[in-house]
Amino acid sequence: MSFQIAVDVGGTFTDLVVLERGGKVHTFKAPTTPGRIVDGILNGLELVADHFKIARAELLAACSKFACGTTAATNAILEGTYARTGLICTEGFRDTLLIREGGKRDTYTIAIDYPAPYIPRELTVGVRERINSEGGIELALDEQSVVVTIERLKHLGVESIAVALLWSIANPSHEKRIGELIETHWPDIPYSLSHRTSPTLREYRRSSATAIDASLKPLVRRVVNELESRLRGAGLGGVLTLVTSSGGQTAGDEVIECPINLCLSGPSAAPVSARNVIRAEGAATCNAIVVDMGGTSFDISIINDWEIPMHREGVIAGHVFGVPSVEVKTIGAGGGSIARVDAGGFIHVGPESARSVPGPACYDRGGILPTVTDANLARGFLDAANFAGGTMTLSPAKSEAAIRAEIAEPLELSVHEAASLIGLAVEQSMVAAIEDITIRRGVDPREYIMVAGGAAAGLHAVPIARELGIRKVLVPPVAGVLSAYGILVSDIKSSFSRSLPAATDAFDFDSVNATLASLEAEATAYLDRMKVPAGSREIRFSAEARYRGQVWQITLDFNHTHIADAATLAALEESFHQLHEKLYFVRGNDTIEFTEWTALAIGRLPAITVDHGVSEGGQGSDAAKGSRQVYMRELGGKAEIPVFDGSRLTPGTRIDGPAMIDQRLTTIVLYPSTTATLSANGSIWIDLI
Amino acid sequence: MLQDVSKPGSTGVDIFTMVVLRRRFEAIIGEMINALFKSGRSGVLNTAMDFSCSLTDARFQSISLAQGLPVHVGAIDLIPRAVAAKFGRDIHPGDCFVNNSGYLGNTHCADFTVCAPVFVDSEIAFYVIARAHLGDMGFPTPTTYGPRSRDVYEEGLMLPCVRIQKDYADVPEVIDICKANIRVPEQFYGDYLAVLAAVRTGEARLKVLCAKYGAATVRTFVDEFQNYAERMACQAISTLPKGRVSKEMLYDSETELYPEGIPIRATIEVDPEEELVIVDLTENIDNLPLGINMTESTTIAACMTAVLNILGPDVPRCTGSFRRVKLLMREGAAIGKPRFPAATSAATTNLCHALIPHLQSMFAMLRGDLGTAYGTIGMPGSCAVVSGEDARGQGRSFVNQLIMGYWGGPALSGHDGWLTYGSGASQGILWQSSVEVVEQQQPIIIEKLEVREDSGGAGQWEGAPGADCIIRPRSGAVRFMVNSASREHPPQGAHGGRAAAPMRISRRDASGNDTELPISVDTTLRPGERLVSEGCGGGGYGDPLDRDPWAVVASLKAGRISRHRATEIYGVVFGHEGEEVTIDGPATVARRAQLRRRGVLA
Repeated sequence: MSFQIAVDVGGTFTDLVVLERGGKVHTFKAPTTPGRIVDGILNGLELVADHFKIARAELLAACSKFACGTTAATNAILEGTYARTGLICTEGFRDTLLIREGGKRDTYTIAIDYPAPYIPRELTVGVRERINSEGGIELALDEQSVVVTIERLKHLGVESIAVALLWSIANPSHEKRIGELIETHWPDIPYSLSHRTSPTLREYRRSSATAIDASLKPLVRRVVNELESRLRGAGLGGVLTLVTSSGGQTAGDEVIECPINLCLSGPSAAPVSARNVIRAEGAATCNAIVVDMGGTSFDISIINDWEIPMHREGVIAGHVFGVPSVEVKTIGAGGGSIARVDAGGFIHVGPESARSVPGPACYDRGGILPTVTDANLARGFLDAANFAGGTMTLSPAKSEAAIRAEIAEPLELSVHEAASLIGLAVEQSMVAAIEDITIRRGVDPREYIMVAGGAAAGLHAVPIARELGIRKVLVPPVAGVLSAYGILVSDIKSSFSRSLPAATDAFDFDSVNATLASLEAEATAYLDRMKVPAGSREIRFSAEARYRGQVWQITLDFNHTHIADAATLAALEESFHQLHEKLYFVRGNDTIEFTEWTALAIGRLPAITVDHGVSEGGQGSDAAKGSRQVYMRELGGKAEIPVFDGSRLTPGTRIDGPAMIDQRLTTIVLYPSTTATLSANGSIWIDLI
Repeated sequence: MLQDVSKPGSTGVDIFTMVVLRRRFEAIIGEMINALFKSGRSGVLNTAMDFSCSLTDARFQSISLAQGLPVHVGAIDLIPRAVAAKFGRDIHPGDCFVNNSGYLGNTHCADFTVCAPVFVDSEIAFYVIARAHLGDMGFPTPTTYGPRSRDVYEEGLMLPCVRIQKDYADVPEVIDICKANIRVPEQFYGDYLAVLAAVRTGEARLKVLCAKYGAATVRTFVDEFQNYAERMACQAISTLPKGRVSKEMLYDSETELYPEGIPIRATIEVDPEEELVIVDLTENIDNLPLGINMTESTTIAACMTAVLNILGPDVPRCTGSFRRVKLLMREGAAIGKPRFPAATSAATTNLCHALIPHLQSMFAMLRGDLGTAYGTIGMPGSCAVVSGEDARGQGRSFVNQLIMGYWGGPALSGHDGWLTYGSGASQGILWQSSVEVVEQQQPIIIEKLEVREDSGGAGQWEGAPGADCIIRPRSGAVRFMVNSASREHPPQGAHGGRAAAPMRISRRDASGNDTELPISVDTTLRPGERLVSEGCGGGGYGDPLDRDPWAVVASLKAGRISRHRATEIYGVVFGHEGEEVTIDGPATVARRAQLRRRGVLA
């Protein structure tokens, strides 16, 4: 036997996906053990070993590749449990992390506290030095003040140091020198330099990224080393990798060196997962909106023509982490979202959540406020006796009571109508969030399919797709462990960036090409370290570009390893005009400026052939398991609709809505004017007519 | 409860459709904003986000104003009203109108406001509006505010609601006039394309919306939404205490007419039974020979902003909720409606900055947990409009407003002030310029941008601090223009809270000597000289002796307050455990009792 294992350690569950030789995929869920995530992983592996009726050590010995996604970094930022970190900045700018960038989102909420900086002022020290925007030295670095600063930080007991000076992207010499002085005067302390961590314009974003990176170093080193040593101790023989914010995987050493890349590890793999499933379905094109709907949050990502867009505006708990990352938008909407009616008679759902304690009213754990899960139970979409894979029994009476008191009576609706309204309201929030990362990025959702993952996805996917004009929804067989499956099939990936201003009216071909060449060399060295065979390598380039006079850059992909002549440059210019017009509806004729250049190193893993093991035998009719009474406005109210057992469907079986398909971890609600078909791979395709 | 406020679901649009359409309108406004944001050229647009997008129906009812500068959107209906009044039946698909006149419903001269009709079934169903503060508007001097202008003829280019597009194509004469008057014609045209992109995006999306849901349904929704907003406002007002309060404050004077300060007067009457708030501004002084006179648009917006801030974030900002606020003002008043040819180019800033917190602070007189202190009034030196020639770009001329250190939010019951507040007119929504972007776009060096110690007003809840900022030109001369305030009359506290530190702006010569600059700054600095800007903070709320001693320690560690203030004003006595600052509890209690007695005697 031989296995590949992928693990996604989430806040509540540790999801495991195991690939057997021959391509059969198995999925498992084990409770996450907060603070001791390796325990949860080992417990999960115990479940896997039991399934195969072998010992855990035997399983691990037969495991050729083990990939892991973890929210360890994300959670440390969210919960403020990162290392005590000192920040060295240019004198006169100690409040950069406090100021952030302004632009309060919620203009009309005045009763609110201003957020604390990522690193407090008392651990922030300015040093005398100054570089200007062209990289010229206005004031030489006062090395004595650096030495004093290092001693001061020692005295303050910091565990890591971030160095972020103004204009280090134009001239990194001062930051480099501070790095040397740290190594001389405090050799053991981990540190991060801003021009390396995130060589991007804007001091707040760069400082924030560097502060986060430095603050994660002690923790991530500990986590990765523990993971490695305990898995090795338990018998793991194969390669161990971690999934990063770019949705690719890389070696533990690389992550320890630059732990900021671990931000959003996990959710970043969801679109990778969806893309793999779509490819397996034999689709000719791949334009997809990927949604992952759980108990508390709704994550959205995009695939454009097989590509997963990246951005640099990733934010966790209000702190920009800045490194290129898969764009994942998260809103607080899920099964636990609480519904309420305001004084003017309007309904709101979320972002407040009942979480797992007290949970939705129907959990009967003391929750009295109606949630989305309560609404789905009240309108007959959930099986009260068989919730969450049969692990819970729900109380319809509690749901109805909560909905009646909080929603139905104030709005003079029936409980069923109120339940429908809660569903509609949460779906509208989800639609708005999807529009936020599609229409506003020049993407027309009507030309996309929707891939629905997560426990609650099947209940809401059809109305959301309908509202957005999407005509096809795909519920993959791995819907319940979407990210973990993405981790299994993700590429090896790492990006390398360098700041170098250039403009089309005075383009310095030599220095740009020298920069591209050195980025290519860095990328190649990385692929060497990762032992990627020559035939599986790819290096892609992009630039941050803008019209002269604009201050926001957009990422422009290009596929030259160097910009040879005026004609190549003209083609690059034209592609910028087109991108700008697509995003912002206007095309300028100004000079284009470039600020930063990036190489993305990709190592493609051998293709995995997945056999999702659709059960043979039996006809579609065998899958019918009776009917359920639901309330659907589309059916004019109460109606009895057929229910099918998803595990007994056979490929090619067609089910016309209205109907429901029960799966182990989710239920798919087929509204009228929909048709569901099971593919040979075990995916359910829903067509909206 | 009023008779005309109907219950939900009693008319043509059910609650399900209400939920959907409310989201659709928010999404449309969001898309307009996004189209404008990243394609604008000048700093105030694409870094500070000093613009807003909005829409009204054919009856000029505004919809959701969840996004956008409060002072921009509080009276947005005046813009389409001006279009309809002037052009009547001569409005056609593909038209777009531009208006920057404070006498035709615009905020102030530098706000370039475009408005396009949206035709559905060959009649106007909506107006879409985008408003942006341009980097230059062709003033006699390179600024976009003329606080010392004596009349409109000393202000910028006037665009009194004229057609700028016909059949979706530019009217070239209007563009030419703009380019001929505005100092940075290319930047102007880029910004114009950005606002145009916003209204055309809004127009296209509204047409799709009406096609999908039916124009009649959408129209009914807009009416129903106003009723909903009105119900929300009614409910919020019904929880306020009944009462009537009057208050006068003084604003820093630059006219010999009011040597002690310009008075700002207001009377507020809250009637929870009638669910109505009446704001009376009729006692204010006549128009001044200064550019700080408010416009009809900013007076209304300031008033709505202040009252709705008290009513809370859940009340939608739109025509319906504004019906519950009755505003009395008079023509020819500095705070009211201007009488031609009074200058109004600083109508969104100076008096407007003062009026909003002035009204808010009056609610603290009604009840001790209501209202706010005063926030920053006027611009600090770090928000100068800078101009000159950039030696790095072959002497290319530049003019732009910096938005740095625009801080100093007012404290309120339960919360310290919001740091990057700016003023009541923007209320934190403006983005703060990045130091690196500022230095890349202008040939200046920022030597310092940090919290100014003891600048926020003390209180149980502390005003947010202002900024210490030092700016120097690099190679050539740079002209700095600032319309500041808060000098003689810094932002005051409320309910026992203390005033903030006064704002200061100085010129530091090559040998390090400072000369204080006047309220309206217009100074040209050469290499070796520096502009030293000390921002005022926001006022405090509640008695400083009631502040949690640990919050005092936090302020001290964050550099917001001095040890002197901690001991003398807050009455906190510190102990030490190694490096850590701790509190000597019994000594603090004793010290506070002593300070209270002293206060009573005083």
